[in-house]
Amino acid sequence: MIQREVKPLDFLSAGETASDFKETLKSLGIAPEICRKASIVTYEAEMNAVIHGGGGVIAMELSGDRITIVAKDEGPGIENVSLAMQEGYSTAPDFIREMGFGAGMGLPNIKKYSDELEIETEPGKGMTLRAVIYLRD
Amino acid sequence: MKISDILENLEGVTVHVAPREGVEVTKGFTGDLLSFVMGSAPEGALWVTIQNHVNVAAVALLKEIPLVLLASGRSPSPELKDQCQREGIALATTDLDSFQACGRLHAMGVRN
Repeated sequence: MIQREVKPLDFLSAGETASDFKETLKSLGIAPEICRKASIVTYEAEMNAVIHGGGGVIAMELSGDRITIVAKDEGPGIENVSLAMQEGYSTAPDFIREMGFGAGMGLPNIKKYSDELEIETEPGKGMTLRAVIYLRD
Repeated sequence: MKISDILENLEGVTVHVAPREGVEVTKGFTGDLLSFVMGSAPEGALWVTIQNHVNVAAVALLKEIPLVLLASGRSPSPELKDQCQREGIALATTDLDSFQACGRLHAMGVRN
């Protein structure tokens, strides 16, 4: 298992965790399509932690037939998960949107590129996201 | 098609980070919403955008995008230029807007 910390509003290093995980998977000989899915899921989780979560920790584990990505933060949590899962819904402030983030596609992208997705959250108590990507279809 | 040929044939181009020799590209994509590009751009496509901040490089790296073309004369932030240099991603500005740039690129044979 590898784990990395994500700092709040750190746009300079944002994306490093995703490229780190992708390189690790590639070096282990994982198929490019699977590496791509894992890196998109990680990138979106990373940006969520940077933008909304007040930073957080992202971990990746490769075991058996699956890659599991767990993102955990102690931010404000998600008030309405089903709303947050809708494409286009976003609570990001304007300065974030001007950078081309906050389009309301983060969680929908994570869902689209993972085979299993669980989100545990409570307003005011942060969030834990667990996404699984199967190594074979 | 070689990236160097594309940059030579497009109008109003300023190259910030030159492409590595012989790197070719056949596909293209345009968009300014990073998550949209992340989810939808074909792997290895060139990318036309007006976003000029450092996270453009992170998306380009993950999508294995060999050329970022900043449209409408947008200059890259110094951090974006540095990051593209480090990661070997070609970076250029064109005075054309995204629509015009994509039209020219399509006419050159770049598809998605």
